Amino acid sequence: MAEVQLNGISKAFGKTQAVKDITMTIGDGDFVVLLGPTGAGKTTTLRLISGLEKLDSGSVFIGGRDVVHDTPAQRDVAMVFQQYSLYPHLTVRDNLAFPLRSPILKTPEDEITRKVQEIAEILQIPHKLDNKATALSGGEMQRVSIGRALVRNPSIYLMDEPLSSLDAKLRADLRVELKRIQADLGSTLLYVTHDQIEAMTMATHIGVLEEGQLVQYGTPKEVYENPVSVYVASRLGQPRINILPSNLFPGTHKGPQIGLRPENIQQGDGIEARVLRSEHLGDQTRLHLEVQGHPVTTLTDPHQDVGSDATIKISPQNPLYFDASGARVV
Amino acid sequence: MSDRTIDRVASATPPPVARKIRGLSDRAIAWIFVAPTIFLLLAINIFPLIWTIRLSFTNYKANRIGREVKEIGFRNYERILTDSDIWLNMQATAHFLIWTIFFQVLIGFTLAWLINKKFKGNDLWTTIIVLPMMLSPAVVGNFWKFLYQPQIGLFNYIIAFFTGKEPSSFEMLGQVNLAPWSIVIVDTWMWTPFVMLICLAGLRSIPDYIYEAAEIDRASKLRQFFTITIPMVLPFLMLAVLFRGIENFKMFDLVVQLTGGGPGSTTELTSINLKREAFEKWRTGYASAYAIILFVTVFGLASIYVKALNKVKER
Repeated sequence: MAEVQLNGISKAFGKTQAVKDITMTIGDGDFVVLLGPTGAGKTTTLRLISGLEKLDSGSVFIGGRDVVHDTPAQRDVAMVFQQYSLYPHLTVRDNLAFPLRSPILKTPEDEITRKVQEIAEILQIPHKLDNKATALSGGEMQRVSIGRALVRNPSIYLMDEPLSSLDAKLRADLRVELKRIQADLGSTLLYVTHDQIEAMTMATHIGVLEEGQLVQYGTPKEVYENPVSVYVASRLGQPRINILPSNLFPGTHKGPQIGLRPENIQQGDGIEARVLRSEHLGDQTRLHLEVQGHPVTTLTDPHQDVGSDATIKISPQNPLYFDASGARVV
Repeated sequence: MSDRTIDRVASATPPPVARKIRGLSDRAIAWIFVAPTIFLLLAINIFPLIWTIRLSFTNYKANRIGREVKEIGFRNYERILTDSDIWLNMQATAHFLIWTIFFQVLIGFTLAWLINKKFKGNDLWTTIIVLPMMLSPAVVGNFWKFLYQPQIGLFNYIIAFFTGKEPSSFEMLGQVNLAPWSIVIVDTWMWTPFVMLICLAGLRSIPDYIYEAAEIDRASKLRQFFTITIPMVLPFLMLAVLFRGIENFKMFDLVVQLTGGGPGSTTELTSINLKREAFEKWRTGYASAYAIILFVTVFGLASIYVKALNKVKER
């Protein structure tokens, strides 16, 4: 396990600037999540670190060593690809054993058997070990793919949306399991996702990417509570933060735009809001409101029944302020 | 409530139109469509086969129409299987088959592997390499006859250039030790592109991300070649061998054009020999038995091979 440092890395594909001047340090034993929508440069960043893509400029250090001219093998990284990428002609067992059979490692065969069995049990696929890789369901393939990374002890694990193709229950299980494995082994892990729940629950640090640039890097708490822009603020929090013109609410404001998460909306007094719809999610109730033509989504007591067309009063409480361009005003 | 929903769904489903056409059932209509093809197949494939089996037990000669035809049992088969000349033909065929397949697979795969490297103009190269395959075997045969010509032939000239011998000191088509190789060379020249194309299809079917995964898993290029490339191309390669094997077992035109089976009968493949028996000597019954023996041989070998091929595919 090692610390990974990125110094101003950039990569363009033709005219598209996929990654633009990203500088960040992934500390030894950190679980870093890169968060961003499709096309933000998350996957390209992973591929640049792994060595599958060549840098246009900048440098990558793994464990203090400049690896820019190293092959993926020399960098000693393990990667989970988004599209499984199993070896289709091999069995699950052979797929899992493949990295261990690398002549660089010289792992004895009984050690390989033991490790493969152990990983298979963690990922709940020991009964599938002798199946061919192509005879698995999508979820099983992705688990094998994760397993193939976990059998190794590389300097860093790189994971590209490994859980996105799994069903909800398995995703929740594996999320916990992955976090546990990472904590137990003390591994350095860089994880790419667009799922904010994965980011919030597993990460020690979150990096938010916007059009190839790293716009904020910090602990989940920091990023959630102190977002640098509207863009970052809307990445985290369910339901999403409501961005409204500040002058809807009386009083003095620090900026022209006000950001209200459900916890920043106090119900009871203030300005009037019409209830358009309420959604009962069991443990919570979502209210879709309309405030002078602006939609607002908030939460309310699950046992409270608010009918449509009712009117409630809301006021902001410790809101976030942004300037006209969307940057945070403190 | 639920009953009514079902009723509504049922009545909304339109009745199958086909069932109503002139009182014919779906099955009958299907048969009507398939019947002409089946009839044609029976007439031009199955009937001649059965007729050939029948003729193989007689002394029938197709050029003597009035002659009485006698049933002679297994005499034809007995004579063929104990004829040492026919065993020589078989050996010539085996030599031709084994070496053409060996060289075509070796060179074809290598070419495919090189072409598959992403370099500029690889499409143009593919087109150029594939050209020989598009020529008529008769043209290729004639053309190589000139190349093999001892006095003026380019082939002899090039060999002479590298070995320092006199160009006219050897005759590829006229010498007993060289003639079998001369036909192997021409067939390889002509059909290696076919094997290359099939191998190329195999190589292109391997997605890049598998190599990327292997790269990450720290497999060397050599290990990637043997654990990924070879196993994943193998089914394609075996298919190419099957096609070439069947084609070359019945090889006729190219060799007739080149050597006509000579010198002596060193390049007289079974198919050429069979044609002589049937249409030069007009021993129809005998030739029928010969054809049946060849048919059973090819069919047997091909069946074993296809079974192996399926096993590789399943793996």
